[in-house]
Order: sequence, then C-alpha cells, then structure tokens
Amino acid sequence: MQPIVLGVIAGSIYALIALGITLVYKASRVLNFAQAEVGTLTLYATWWVTQRQHQSWWVGAVASIAAAIAIGLVFERLVIRRMLTAPRVTVAVATIGLFSLMIAVELALFAGTIYILPPPISHGGVSIAGVYVNANQWLALGVVAAVAAALAAFLRYTDFGLAVLASADDPVAAQLMGAPRGRISAFTWATAGALSAIAVLLIEPTVGVLAPGAFNGLFLGGLTAALVGGLSSLPGAFVGGLVVGIAEAEVKAHLVIQSIPSFQVTAMLIIVLLVLLLRPQGLLGSRS
Amino acid sequence: MTAADVSGSALARQTRSTRSRERWWNMLTAAALFVALPLATEHAMPKLLEQHHYLNLDVGIAIAIAAVSLNLLLGYAGQISLGHAALLAAGAFASGIVTTRWHGPMVLGLLFAVVTTAALSLIVGLPALRLRGLYLAIVTLEFGLVMQYSVLRSSVFSGGSAGIALPRRVWGNRFFTDNAVYLVISLLLLLAVWFLDVNVVRTRIGRAFRTIRENESVAQAFGIAVTRYKLLAFVLSGAMAGLAGAMYGHAIGFVNNESPFNFNQSLQLIIIVVVAGLGHRLAAILAGLVYWVFPSFISGLHQWAYIIGALALMDVVSRHPEGLAGMWEHRRRPKPTDGDDDDGELPALPQLPAPARAVQPESFAPGSTLLEVDGVSVRFGGLQAVDGVRLTVPAGNIVGLIGPNGAGKSTLFNAISGLVRTESGRIRFRGQEIQGLRCDQRARLGIARSFQQVGLAKDLSIRENFLLAQHQLASYSDGEALLMLPRASRDEETFRARADKAIAALGFDELADMPVRNLSGGQQRIVEIACLLVTAPDLVMLDEPSAGMAPAAAENLAARLRDLRDELGRTVLLIEHNVPLVLDTCDYVYVLDAGRLIAEGAPEDIASNPQVIDAYFGAGVMA
Repeated sequence: MQPIVLGVIAGSIYALIALGITLVYKASRVLNFAQAEVGTLTLYATWWVTQRQHQSWWVGAVASIAAAIAIGLVFERLVIRRMLTAPRVTVAVATIGLFSLMIAVELALFAGTIYILPPPISHGGVSIAGVYVNANQWLALGVVAAVAAALAAFLRYTDFGLAVLASADDPVAAQLMGAPRGRISAFTWATAGALSAIAVLLIEPTVGVLAPGAFNGLFLGGLTAALVGGLSSLPGAFVGGLVVGIAEAEVKAHLVIQSIPSFQVTAMLIIVLLVLLLRPQGLLGSRS
Repeated sequence: MTAADVSGSALARQTRSTRSRERWWNMLTAAALFVALPLATEHAMPKLLEQHHYLNLDVGIAIAIAAVSLNLLLGYAGQISLGHAALLAAGAFASGIVTTRWHGPMVLGLLFAVVTTAALSLIVGLPALRLRGLYLAIVTLEFGLVMQYSVLRSSVFSGGSAGIALPRRVWGNRFFTDNAVYLVISLLLLLAVWFLDVNVVRTRIGRAFRTIRENESVAQAFGIAVTRYKLLAFVLSGAMAGLAGAMYGHAIGFVNNESPFNFNQSLQLIIIVVVAGLGHRLAAILAGLVYWVFPSFISGLHQWAYIIGALALMDVVSRHPEGLAGMWEHRRRPKPTDGDDDDGELPALPQLPAPARAVQPESFAPGSTLLEVDGVSVRFGGLQAVDGVRLTVPAGNIVGLIGPNGAGKSTLFNAISGLVRTESGRIRFRGQEIQGLRCDQRARLGIARSFQQVGLAKDLSIRENFLLAQHQLASYSDGEALLMLPRASRDEETFRARADKAIAALGFDELADMPVRNLSGGQQRIVEIACLLVTAPDLVMLDEPSAGMAPAAAENLAARLRDLRDELGRTVLLIEHNVPLVLDTCDYVYVLDAGRLIAEGAPEDIASNPQVIDAYFGAGVMA
C-alpha cells in the first residue's frame, strides 16, 4: 500500500509539471523543456527570503512563484513572440535555450554550496490506509488538487479561458473570432512558470536540498506524464502524472537491481518507449 | 533575411562537382597536410606545444566531431537530440572496455564505439522516429538521464566510480606515446567525418534530410521513405557521436561516471551548433573548437561561457535563425535581385528522356485502363469524406474531377496516392492492387501528384527540387553515397545533367539556385509539374494547378496540359475549379459532391447537367 500512497503524492506533483507542458503544447505545439528548471532556479528566491530575510515559508513561496511568472512572461515577450511563424523545432530549441540559461545561472551562482530549505510544516501527519502521510505531503496533495481545479474551472468557465482553449484547437479561427493571441500566449507562459514554481516548491521537502540538477527527476516524471497523457490533453496530463508516480514508486519498492542504480529512471524511459510504440496518442488522447 | 535565403546559399555550394575521383583527391591532399603539419611542428619546435595544449586540442577536436554529428541531425534533418552527451559516453565506455578489459588496440576500440552507438541510436530512435513530432527529443532526453543516473553509475559498465582507463594501445603492450601522432590521428578522423558529412549533403541522403525537416508530407510525395531517412540521420549522428566520445576518452586517458557526459554537455552541444549556424559544418567545427579550447586556456570562463551561450542561443533562434555563419555569409553575398512576378507566359514543359527504371513498365495501348478506383470510401471520424467512389482513367487521357468545395476531391487524391487510408474499396494501377502500398511505393510505381498548396520543398532551390524529384531513380545505396563511390557520383552527375536540362528547357537558368519560396505562384506551379515529369510517371495527378495563378497564366496552363497528353504521352487526372480550363482540356469528367459521384461524362454534357449545376449553385437556380 505504501508505494501507491507515495506514488500518488509524487505523481500529483508530476501532474503539475505535465499540466504546464501540456498547456504550452496545446497552445503553441511547442515542447517546453524548461518546464521544471524555471521553478528550480526561482526556488533560490524562496531560500533567500526565508533564510536571509527570515520571512515565513509562505512569503518565500510567493516570491518563487512571482519570479517564475516573471521569467515566463519575459521569455514569452522576448523570444516566443518573435517566433510566431517559426518552425516548431526552432521554438523547441528556444526553450532548450531557456532551460540551459536556468542551469547555467544555477551553476554560476549556486554550485558548490549546499542550500537547505526547511519544509513549510515542521511536524504533524495523519495515517491513511496504514501509511503515514506527513503534513507536507498532505499540503502537496491539497495544493495540487486546488491548482488543478482552479485551472480547469478558469479554462472552462471564463471567457478568456474558453478563448485559450479555442485558440489551442484552431489559432486562426480563434483569432478571427477575436481571441487576443498575444494575451493568450502571455497567459500560457505565465501559467507554465507558476506551475513550475509550485511543483518544485511542493517536491522540495522530499528531495531535501537545493542544487543544480536536483530536480531532474521532477522534469523526467512530468515529461513522461505529459507523454502518457498524450501531450495535448489536460485531464490526460493529470492521469499521466498519477500513473507515472505510482509506477515509479512501485519500481522503487519492488524492483531494486543491485547493478543498476536509480532503476526508476530507466523505468521512465521504458514507459516512454512503450507509449510511443503502443499508444502514441496517450491514455486519454484521441488519434488525430 | 529568411531561413529560405540561408538554405539557398547553402545549396549553391552543394551544386559543386560530385565527381568521385576529384573528391577523393581533395581528401588525400588534406590528409597529407594534416599528417605533415603536427609532425613537422613537433620536429622543428618541440617546445611550442606542451602536454596540456595537446590535450586541449585533442578534446576540442573530439567536441568538434560531436558538433558535426549534432549538426547533421538537427541542422539537416531537423530532429532534436537531447542525449548526445550520453552517446559520447557510450562511445567512450565502449572503447574503454575494448582497450582496457579486452586489451584490444585503440583502433578496434574506436570501431567498437561507433558500432555500439549506432546500434543504440537505432534502438532508441526507432519508436520515436516512426511518429511525426518532436518525440526524439523526449526519448533522447530520457535516454541521456538513464545513462547519467543508472548506466554510468552501474558497476557493470563503468567499473563504479573507479571508472575505466582508455589507453592508446597499438597492439599488445605497445602504446602511442607521441602526442603529435595522436593529434594527427584526431585530425584524420575529423577529416573522415567531414568527408562523410559532405557526401551526405551532396547526395540524395542530404536532400531527403532537408526535405523532411521542411515538410514530411512533401518528402513523402517525392517518394522519400521518411522514417527510414530520419532513422538514418540519427544512426549516422549517433555513430559520429560515439567516435567523438571515444576520441575524447583516449585524449584524456580515463573516464568515469563523473566525467562530463551529463545532461549539461548535451545542452552545450546544442548551443554550439545552433549559435554557429544550423547546417554549416565548418561553423560547427570552429565553434566546437573555440567553445572548448578557448575557455580551457582561461580558467573560470566555462560557467560564464555557458550563460552567454544560452542567451546567444535564444537570441539566434528568435532573431537570426541562420546563426553566426549565416550572418557572415549574408554580409558577403550580393542581395538577390527581385524576380519579376509577371508570369503571363509560362514556359513549355520540358520533354525529358525517360529515365531507366528498375522495372520497365510494359507498354500499354492508349485507351486501356491505367487507373481504376473501385468503390473507395474514406472516413474521418464521423465524416464520410469519400463514399464508394468508382472511376476509371484510361491511358493517354486527361480525366477531370470536379465538384464544390468539400466534395472530397483532394481526399480521393490522397487515397490514390497513399496519404490517407481507405476504409473500403480497391485501387488498381495497371491492374495491380495498390491500396495496401505506402505512399513512396506508389510513387515508385509511376504515380506522381501535385498538391493544392505547391508541393515543392520551398526552402530548396529549383535545381535541388529537380534533383529531389529524381530521388527514386537513384541506383546507389546509402553506403555508396556516404563514401561517394563511383556509382553514386555517376548517378548524381546524371541527375544534375537532367536537372540542368529541365531548367534550361524552362528558361529558368537565372533562378535555378534561388529558393522556390521566392518564385511567383505560376512559376512554382510550372516547376512543380516539371518536377513530376522528371521521374517519367505514367499517371500525373494535378490538384488545382491553376490555383493562385494569374488569369493569363491559367489560360496558358491549358496548352501546357494538352502538351502533357499530346506531346509527352502522359495520362492526367485533374482536379480543377476553373471550369473553362476543364472544358478545354479534359476528355472525360467525373463530378463529386459530398463524397459521392453524382455525374460523369464528356465535358460538354457535364456543363449542361442540371444535377451538377445544382451541386455547384444550389437547387433552384435552374428554375
């Protein structure tokens, strides 16, 4: 039972990354390779606010989210906005540039020192189905559920949200109907930034330290989840996150191979290859 | 400056001679230079280069080869690999295992590295490259992380954190000790990779890569087996990366799981190649050398070089997609003069000698059935796009296919040429059932088609498009092309001669090396039809050839279409909205509405058929 509970928790955080990847992919057919790294860099803002300025974790979290939104907006404005007609491969390379920049800045400023961020809630927890789930994990579950519900409601029930979805289905038609293309693009990248920051904030207590590349596993899980979900289905991304999280936890618990460390990483690659071979449209996707 | 202009200039270079002997001779000259220079330098000035200089140069050359490898994949074929560092690592460990554990010579180690990484690329690439999209980027990213976290840390492969040594073993217990000799070997390997890369670019392999990068549907229509060529690109690229990794390992002498084969190295390689200029081999090599050798001399620069590189990457892709090399080339090249857009008079279609085919089609009498479509249906989800259509195209005729927008005409074309799957029904070509064949297989049988939007590779020049159109005629294998063996160079010479002839016949000599994108609509259309004819197809399928043409040009087109039938002896299936053009040219007309055949007959009967008029203008017009 334990792996399933832990898998659901990790998987729900993967789902946030997968939602970000899927949202951007739906809106612009671009794979955003920086989806987890933006939040990784801005987590240092949380560290600075809580450890240097002695503010609460929550203030620090807001700082990280705000910084990630800002990065998303600047990137959209200076790079994406100039590439509306560029081949999608080229735009994907641009996100690889953003990814590289985030890592390069982390390496230049923060490499070599270990940064430790105390968790948001220091004690407390409730057992479920015989598995002890600590307060931070409950927080993660709650935040993911709230964020996902809020995003779904926003897209479904507001005019602007509907314009975003319409634009994802048919950009030209949506534009002719008056959907503001620039604002939709900005919204997409800002949301992607926020989702990135939230996901990294939530998974940090599990990882324990801040370091360049410390959250590669998060990106790996999120990307795999997005692919399992078919890359263009938001509910699919969510289900994909849970599937990948549970699969990873099961592998960690039952499939330890002495000679191959971190076998769960290999498991992700196997999942990706299986999806591509058997169901490239994803679990919930339809063949287009 | 657009991407189109860039590749145009790149193409002008590729139209240089492909003669086998000349190419090999150039290589030998360069090789002699590469052997002589380091050895002479060392002999004359033994103190000039110290051990660590040699080390930096050797590593720089290895990285330059890795850059060439990524340029081949990303610059030519348009596929992203985020796991190139992992392929380098695989190459290094493969060579380490041969030279250290099996006590084999370095040469065998390098060879084993190449074979291993080529095989790995094939396995990793196959599931992703069958599909359209950026799946290779995802798979290679995950593959890279697997190598970094699992394989390189596994005791089985890397000897744990102890790593593995890569001695420069000659044989048994003899080793290369002379640094200059190793530098010579590095340079010669770089030259060999250069040679392969040049041959890729100058043969049908490179043309296939670049067409796939631009538009996979167009590539398929030219008869290019898309998945196969994408795989070839990745396997070639992977083999070169494996060589680079092994050379890196032998330069340092030792690799372990901490060696810089991590994800960041993959990203930095992408930065090097894109900033240098995609598709520019020399730029990739120079950038690789500068990026690696220069910071090694100035310690502490590496981190800043990475930040600057990442910023430069974003700037390049968003503002100058041609990269540094393209900007440099652009400054030196005179601006192209604006081609005049007046294309009232279209040139006559060239009569080209029919190329020898692998299987010579048996001749068939005019009037006998060439194409037979029997009860074909195509369904998209809930939409019945084509519903049990039956039509016959006799050899030597022009058969028209008309109908209102959305009638399913283009879908039927797609079904015949193999771009969409039929739900039911049979398609026979020269009596052979073809509905089970792939698009490129049908093209090889002698079915050529044009697209409503012009189906040319628009970033390529007219000349390149004519070469591309002869893709299926090549008798050389990809291996022969890579080594530029006589058969490959002979075929390429023939293709070039035929392309030159077609260009001359059209009178397009001055435009020949300009990207097709810069031509007027009418010019593009006539080039497209001429391209269809280069392969001497039996059936030419034209989808609205007059679309986007000036009225005068469209009138001229009718004469060209009749030439197709009367002078060139082709059979034509024609979709056209321009009714006078249809009446003027067709021998027989089929009318489609809402996926169903509603009328057929001679053009003059169709023109007065009330059902047809209803379909076009709505019921009641006749009343």
